[in-house]
Amino acid sequence: MWASQRQATRGRLCHDGRMAARLLVVEDDDRIRTVLRLGLETEGYDVAEAACTEDALELFRANPPDLMIVDLMLGGLDGFACIREVRRTSDLPIIVVSARTDTHDIVAGLEAGADDYVTKPFQIKEISARLRALRRRTASLVTPGEQPAADLVLDSGPDRRLVLSPSRGTVRCGDEDLHLTLTEFNLLCELATAPGRVMSRQLLLERVWDQGFFGDERLVDVHIRRLRTKIERDPGAPRMVVTVRGLGYRLDPQ
Amino acid sequence: MVFGGGALLISATLAASTFVIARHYLLDQRQQAAIRQTYLDADLVHARLSSSGARIPAALDAADPPQGGALIVRRDGQWFTTALGTGQETIPAGLRQRIRSGRPGYVRVMVDGSPTMIIGVPSEGTRTEFYRVTPLTELDDTLRALSTVLVFSACLAAGAGIMLGLWASRKVVQPLNLVASTAAEIAGGQPDTRLPATEDPELTTLVGSFNSMVDSLQQRVESDARFAADVGHELRSPLTTLVASVELLEQHRRELPARAVQAIDLVSGDLARLQRLLDNLLHMARTDAGLDLSDRAPVPLRELLLHTLARAGKPARLLRDETTGVTVHGDKVLLERAFANLVDNADRHGEGLVAITVQRDEDEVLVVVDDEGQGVPVEDRQRIFERFATSRTARGSSSGTGLGLSLAEKTLSAHGGTLWCTDRPGRGARFVAGLPVAAP
Repeated sequence: MWASQRQATRGRLCHDGRMAARLLVVEDDDRIRTVLRLGLETEGYDVAEAACTEDALELFRANPPDLMIVDLMLGGLDGFACIREVRRTSDLPIIVVSARTDTHDIVAGLEAGADDYVTKPFQIKEISARLRALRRRTASLVTPGEQPAADLVLDSGPDRRLVLSPSRGTVRCGDEDLHLTLTEFNLLCELATAPGRVMSRQLLLERVWDQGFFGDERLVDVHIRRLRTKIERDPGAPRMVVTVRGLGYRLDPQ
Repeated sequence: MVFGGGALLISATLAASTFVIARHYLLDQRQQAAIRQTYLDADLVHARLSSSGARIPAALDAADPPQGGALIVRRDGQWFTTALGTGQETIPAGLRQRIRSGRPGYVRVMVDGSPTMIIGVPSEGTRTEFYRVTPLTELDDTLRALSTVLVFSACLAAGAGIMLGLWASRKVVQPLNLVASTAAEIAGGQPDTRLPATEDPELTTLVGSFNSMVDSLQQRVESDARFAADVGHELRSPLTTLVASVELLEQHRRELPARAVQAIDLVSGDLARLQRLLDNLLHMARTDAGLDLSDRAPVPLRELLLHTLARAGKPARLLRDETTGVTVHGDKVLLERAFANLVDNADRHGEGLVAITVQRDEDEVLVVVDDEGQGVPVEDRQRIFERFATSRTARGSSSGTGLGLSLAEKTLSAHGGTLWCTDRPGRGARFVAGLPVAAP
């Protein structure tokens, strides 16, 4: 399921003839859910709705979507549980919607596996822009005819050979594919464009999330943390994705 | 320290009075003994002289003169002594006179630099004068030793008093210090800090009441914060539906009649205001609970202000940066809101923003926001930073949220900066925000 989703383009046809991306909205407030559906259908998405985590997971298993929007405050199992459950099998982009702007909730949502967040009240065009940014790289990765980017050996250790393959959209450890989410993969690719050079949080925020000056740099930090737990030998003492204090991050292939 | 001084005073007084009493008693004892001895000696000599007809020197020798002293006798105008160098000249004239007149007497004098007691007794009428010269050196030594011991013990007592005082005062003050530092920690943003439980029965009440006071305060603060968050949450949900719905409607404005478009514009205008009010209100609630500046980072000021202008829909040319590019340390979202509120204020109350000027002033950077309104009267220049200050002079639809300036002021001071209001040369009001420049 993991690799195939990066190219998933099933579902109904969009206005311009392309297949519409399928979006699952998990939100317990009927009115907000409805307005999200109305607005995002206008933007060309094929929208499915769920009012609680249980329904959402059922829909998710029956008919896996391409993207998800999850409210953190849900009755029953909360949004965090929903995201964690989805993340066990899927790397699709997830945007968290929260009425709270507390640092704690947002970071917890990102730690659970979300790719980005939007606080209420939001505008449809804002959500639409975030969704587009999260899907952008996926599309470019499979654009036919494009010169495929060369593979990069991240770790040349004999016991743990780690290879990033931007053209195939994989990170292989030995003979196995590592399960990176789309955003983690994009972040790694971005760092890999200039191994050994520092990239600022702001730059990564612009390139990976397509966000401007007021973007939240914690997005970068949380995703770097998640990326490290998957690719570093010792995530507690990272040697591949290095923090450069006050400046940003740097990729050091081993 | 006062305790130590007191201890010193008390022990010194005690020692001094002990010394005086002891001295008096010892001298008295010595004197009585010497007088008794003198009479005995006089009787002995007299008996010898009268019974055996012995000569005076022999009789005197037999009478056992005192150590270091002498027995002196004047008989029939002739002087006899048992010690060379201690003769009639030793005896003061006053005493001699007294004895000669038939009365016994004694005197204390210094002989050769040492204290001496001379006792005189007449016998056989006035034919014989009998003197006993007793050195008091021994007594003096005793007294000196006594005084040394007393001074020493007085000092010791004072020292012990000081130590005791320090210990006692520390014991008393220590819990107070702990209370003070705990209170400071709580005020400094660690509301979970409590006084540790104590075994000391005298402190249990203090610790208990202090902790329960902090508990109830914390509950109060938390319930306030929860209330603000709940209100925010409850308001945000309908606002989300409204904002998104109006947005959808606006996408179809070309299909709507002109009057409907006008109505939509009104709704979306006030919706934006409502949204800003809610944002400021929630922000204010959080500011009151202590601003969380954990997301501080170096922020390039020029970029921040350019983005602030862009967000407010203002042209970038309104920014005049007279610095070479200054970085401040802070939370860019909070700072943006502060400056956006200043821009907003200039628009609402100052008939439009004229310019934002950035100047460097040593370790500070000044952001000067000018408008061309009526300016702010001197007496109002403090009041406008109070919450809802505008609502008292509300002027129809032009009134803002009433929180903007207060919030801007609070945000800037949380960043170690200041905000004040003055006159713009010519016309209008000038708001000056000062922020410390981040170290490069």
